[in-house]
Amino acid sequence: MSLKTQGNSPLIHVENLTKSFGDHIALNNVSFSLNKGQPIALVGPNGAGKTTLFSILCGYLLPTSGRVSIAGAEAGHEKLFGRLAALPQDAQFDPRFTISHQLKFYAQLQGFNRKEALKEAERTLDLVGLSETLQAKPSELSHGMRKRVAIAQTLIGSPEIVMLDEATAGLDPINAREVRELVSSLSSDITFILSSHDLSELERLCSQVLYLEKGQLQQHQSLQNEDAQRYITLRMKQSYDNFLELVQSVSSVVSVKQTQSNEFLITSAITQAEEAPVDLQILQLCHQQKWQYSQLTNGKTLENQLF
Amino acid sequence: MLNIQRLSILTQFELIRIFKTKNGLISLATFCAVWFVLLYYMISSATEIIFSDGFKMVASTLFGALGLSALLEWPVAEFAIYWLVAVYSFPLFALFAASDQTCSDKARGTLRFITLRATRSEILLGRFLGQYIIIAILIFLTLLACIVLATVRDASLFIPSFKQAATLFLELSIIITPFIALMSFLNSLLSSAKMSIVMSILFYTVGALLIGYVQFQFNSGEFLNYIFPGTQISRVVSLQNLDFIHYLIPLVQSVILLFAADKLLKRASL
Repeated sequence: MSLKTQGNSPLIHVENLTKSFGDHIALNNVSFSLNKGQPIALVGPNGAGKTTLFSILCGYLLPTSGRVSIAGAEAGHEKLFGRLAALPQDAQFDPRFTISHQLKFYAQLQGFNRKEALKEAERTLDLVGLSETLQAKPSELSHGMRKRVAIAQTLIGSPEIVMLDEATAGLDPINAREVRELVSSLSSDITFILSSHDLSELERLCSQVLYLEKGQLQQHQSLQNEDAQRYITLRMKQSYDNFLELVQSVSSVVSVKQTQSNEFLITSAITQAEEAPVDLQILQLCHQQKWQYSQLTNGKTLENQLF
Repeated sequence: MLNIQRLSILTQFELIRIFKTKNGLISLATFCAVWFVLLYYMISSATEIIFSDGFKMVASTLFGALGLSALLEWPVAEFAIYWLVAVYSFPLFALFAASDQTCSDKARGTLRFITLRATRSEILLGRFLGQYIIIAILIFLTLLACIVLATVRDASLFIPSFKQAATLFLELSIIITPFIALMSFLNSLLSSAKMSIVMSILFYTVGALLIGYVQFQFNSGEFLNYIFPGTQISRVVSLQNLDFIHYLIPLVQSVILLFAADKLLKRASL
């Protein structure tokens, strides 16, 4: 499977990628192509092979077989220095040096001179809202702050691809939202690849998704709704009698399926021009029946698409 | 291809690690304290004893038996004792001091940040050069202290001390090279500095026993001793009749160890 390409060649091209650890096959013949653009979600249950794929793309692991090409270069090749940045899941900064010193060191390795490197360290820390930690050592920071500093190091220079493995794991809701806003605000210049278990987060940010399960690529799709049918996800505040029957009776509703407690996936045919849109009809029904809903989503949730 | 700028930044970072961090400065202070004791109490006192009229004959016999008579001829007596201490202690010190070139960074994941900005070969060589320069600086400082010691005893020894110190600096700098390279190799193979030290001890003990056994069984295999860094030390300690091969052995050992370390690190999972 592959998404439609926008340029001549994809930004990331993976072909028949397999990675084994002894008898265990972590990735099994995975192939896909990704183009420059909106953030891409890397999704899958624990042990699906997400971190292995992430590590191979960053050049931390060598594949057992298969080919990886990133912006025309092999994974880990020096041509990608400064172009591909990553937040590896468990990587820590050196506890002996200040944050400023380490960010300056990384910036200098990327070609900045000493003065520019300091400015770059300040700029990236400012982006993640941690300017005050410039002279702090990693041990003086909380887990969440260390993670944000690790995100800051991915933004040094002008990377084209930034891979974030569980970027918001362990962050409080406010900081997690700030990270999401940061990704969203930079996504016009940077192609982000995000791995997370928080599907609602990925849904908010990503327009493409790679779904891995047991080392195999199960789905690779755009989150745009391109079907002849239309989907609406309706989450009610509580359960109501006759809900399914009454929603089913709305014209153009094809089916109503309960996906979770009080959450329903409504499938409708594309409404005719003279008809009221199906979402308006459903809202009217809620109003008439005095039903309280908590959320109406245009389309399937990512969770419903994947599972 | 190695990028010289990145290599230089990586090397400088190693120097900062020892000279600008708390842990580095504590290690440095410990080193200085040990060498102060060695210089003040051992080298200074031993020089007085060995070159005293009463002990001269004994010293001559002892040094002669060890093939070290030439050392008694050195114009600056302190350096003879310094050399005997330094030629065996600095290689050992190099093994310990350079035992954590990449291990901690690998275990902590810091190496993942760095490998997105520098090749593994650059990291390996940068760390090796950093450690080499640190130990070379420490050798230089001990030699400087020895010059002071000799000059305080006899001010006319100031110039001869410099000449002698320059020779010993060159010799020691060459001798320590494969020991640091050995730790580069073990760091590429193992995941902790402690394990690297343990493996280096096993290498010199079990390795020597195995090679001794092979040599005994097959009555040949002298060349196998060349796998051990420092194998030439016993022959260079007298600093007499040295030929090019004595310098070539540690340099070739270093190149082979670094080449093997590079191959291992390139394939290592981070």
